[in-house]
Amino acid sequence: MKEFAVFWGCTIQTRFPFLEKSTRIVLDEFNLPYKDIDGFTCCPEKSLVNNVDHASFVVTAARNVALVDELGLDLVSPCTGCVSNLASVKGELCSHPKEKKEVNELLHEVGRKFTGKAKLQHLVPFFHDSVGVFAIKQKIKKNFNGMRIALHYGCHMMRPSHALRNDDPLNPVKFDNLIAALGATSMQFPTKMMCCGQGLDRVDQHDLALNFARVKLKELKALGADALVLCCPSCFLQFDNNQFLMEKEGEKLGIPVIYFTELLGLALGYTPDELGITSHRVDCAPFLDKWETVSKQAIAAAMDDALNADGAL
Amino acid sequence: MLDAKLDMKLLEMCSKCGACYSICPSCTHIPGYDPREVVKDIVQGNFEKWLTSSAIWQCLECHYCLEMCYQHYGFENAMTALRTIAAKRGVHPPQVKRGWDMFVKTGKLGEPALPARKKLGLPEPSKSGGEELKKLHVLLKAKRAAKGH
Repeated sequence: MKEFAVFWGCTIQTRFPFLEKSTRIVLDEFNLPYKDIDGFTCCPEKSLVNNVDHASFVVTAARNVALVDELGLDLVSPCTGCVSNLASVKGELCSHPKEKKEVNELLHEVGRKFTGKAKLQHLVPFFHDSVGVFAIKQKIKKNFNGMRIALHYGCHMMRPSHALRNDDPLNPVKFDNLIAALGATSMQFPTKMMCCGQGLDRVDQHDLALNFARVKLKELKALGADALVLCCPSCFLQFDNNQFLMEKEGEKLGIPVIYFTELLGLALGYTPDELGITSHRVDCAPFLDKWETVSKQAIAAAMDDALNADGAL
Repeated sequence: MLDAKLDMKLLEMCSKCGACYSICPSCTHIPGYDPREVVKDIVQGNFEKWLTSSAIWQCLECHYCLEMCYQHYGFENAMTALRTIAAKRGVHPPQVKRGWDMFVKTGKLGEPALPARKKLGLPEPSKSGGEELKKLHVLLKAKRAAKGH
């Protein structure tokens, strides 16, 4: 496997360092050749930077890609937004040679060059395509049989598809496949592909952002989901933090929110504390307690089956 | 080439279609949000009234419209154009202003949480390329000035 740099992004390192912890744990556990490199900046955040100045958006992303291009590395990120933004600019420059030349003239002034050779991947499609479901199944110590998981892909994991080209942009399957590999049931529900709505919080429309969170969380409560699993810090902020804010206002929905790396880490035998799950705002104990109960029941059932199997007589 | 541009020809087609309307999460969940009205106004030259509207900031940039669009264009491009003009005139949301200022100043939207990193046993964060990005921003500004913007 080709070496790759991890692009952590601003949100994880600023607000959720425990997500970096669980990501490092799973990368180490699978012996993946990752590197931390100096020089990255904000990806940059599209809804902020691109809205104000498109050229700054392009140059900033091109510079970040140039850093991995120069080192001959690929790039993997546990943030959907970062990958989507970097890949969008890579796509734009690779399909517009004149613009690419213009950007490289600027980058040349600081000794950099964008070639666009580096493969840019989000962690979920990376685990699916480059690590593989089989390798994951072989490595897990404790599966999630009997657990009902509601997946939230996060819009920017596979969109825009012309730039990311990693899954079906409207009906993606790779995250579902990974959940199935861990033994859990990935629920199908009406709001599964609904945008989290966190973007509204970034433009001073907090009440609308809460409404978006509420629609999905209420549905999951009604359907009896054990957890909402995702792999995007912005979606995590929306469903963990904003759900907690609603809880404080007396609206308790009680849906634990688990990052993909945390779920994988649990399956690999790490404790919730080691993985940072205890740092979440919304209590994950209901999910962990049920998992414990279901696992014990499964062991007892397997024992019963073995004892009652046809024997010597 | 590096400047944002709106393709009026594609937008004209867009104003007669609306295939994206039923899949857009904001159209579905925000009462009154209808980018078709915005697109029609842009095509007819009446975009000014939207610049101070909160609606143009309600597009979540989820790219659903782009995937549904027969032209692979999507009305998010129209929203982005209006937001850019609003930002140039200084009528964008305060939070966007604050975020932009921080981005220009540091090249990031926040600094790594050092005490928490230590507690979690995480390594020292990598060095930021903020200073180099600042230089690029200066170069970009100079390039624009030379072009006579």
